[in-house]
Amino acid sequence: MPTVNETDRPSLARRAAVLYGVTAFVSLIGLADAIYLTVEHLSGRSVRCTITSGCSEVLSSPYATVRGFPLAGLGAVAYFVVFSLATLAAFGYPFVGKLLTLIVAAMFLATLWLLYLQAFVIHHFCQFCLLSALVTTTLTALVIYAQLKTGRG
Amino acid sequence: MKRILPFVIIAFVLGAGLVTARYLQRASLETPKPSPVPSASPVATAKILNPADPGAEPAHALGDPKALVTLEEFGDFECPPCGALHPILKGIETEYGPTKVRIIFREFPLVPNHVHALAAARAAEAAGLQGRFWEMHDLIYEHQKDWHEAFDVRPIFEGYAKTIGLDVQQFARDNTSEMVERRIFLDGKRGHSLDVQGTPTVFLNGKEVPFESLAPEKLKALINSELAGHP
Repeated sequence: MPTVNETDRPSLARRAAVLYGVTAFVSLIGLADAIYLTVEHLSGRSVRCTITSGCSEVLSSPYATVRGFPLAGLGAVAYFVVFSLATLAAFGYPFVGKLLTLIVAAMFLATLWLLYLQAFVIHHFCQFCLLSALVTTTLTALVIYAQLKTGRG
Repeated sequence: MKRILPFVIIAFVLGAGLVTARYLQRASLETPKPSPVPSASPVATAKILNPADPGAEPAHALGDPKALVTLEEFGDFECPPCGALHPILKGIETEYGPTKVRIIFREFPLVPNHVHALAAARAAEAAGLQGRFWEMHDLIYEHQKDWHEAFDVRPIFEGYAKTIGLDVQQFARDNTSEMVERRIFLDGKRGHSLDVQGTPTVFLNGKEVPFESLAPEKLKALINSELAGHP
């Protein structure tokens, strides 16, 4: 006699695949944004903001680099790791979901710190950084929801 | 196959990301050149022959008009990379001397991105009306970090005016004068006609220098290769 758990399994797997698939897709937006910012940072030119006002202030501030390495580059690496883990999780690889949740949580904390810096220290916002904050927040919501709904590790 | 597929996707995205980064890097290296708009109408043909607006005249220039190399900078006093370029151009000015290299400065304040850029441009132009443009230009660039964060920059610039020995009352009046406004407008018009997209943009004998080449060694190499043709 099939148990409730067994009949639930295929739909659970499908739900996880969809949620992590969406997570992977959203992380691609962050990846594209971070790659653009990294290249602009390395070129050094004042980026023209079209929506907000402080692109060159934010991107040329001392907070835009970590020990000489562009922060946007770290962001690109982080988004790529998130994309890779989410893809693996979507294909049902075990234990990846928990690692993904940890990494996204760390990125969310970093995002809060960067938003604080823009608002209270640099006093300027850069639209590309705000897009990244939006992406990370969405990713956080997605992986927490995925963990709660599927409980897959 | 299903076990391998995610790795194939990941590898594909990694490759696509690297290619995109390379493409963006190339695109920013090859900044767009000023190109006249092709048109069949005879009115536009005249424009093609002389596409660039002359800018404010006389231009703020250091060095001999007959110098072999002319560097024309479109600058915004509040833009950090422009501030970084300032000592580089200063170094070139002293190293090559006025007979070899001529340096022209054009106002290109990026308003509203830089809230004090226009005020700084006005201050430099107002100093120019008393014959002290370059002194003010240098002070404003060298103290960019000091006034950039200020709420009201006027007293700071008036302080600079005093330092370089200007008639401060006249300077304050000139700041809002038609003449100063007009010079900034004309320089901006020239910048737009040359398709200047950001600051600093430098033209070396009329050719736009890619931003990456504004590093001291690269800029000197470009100047040297230009001088090499004229012993």
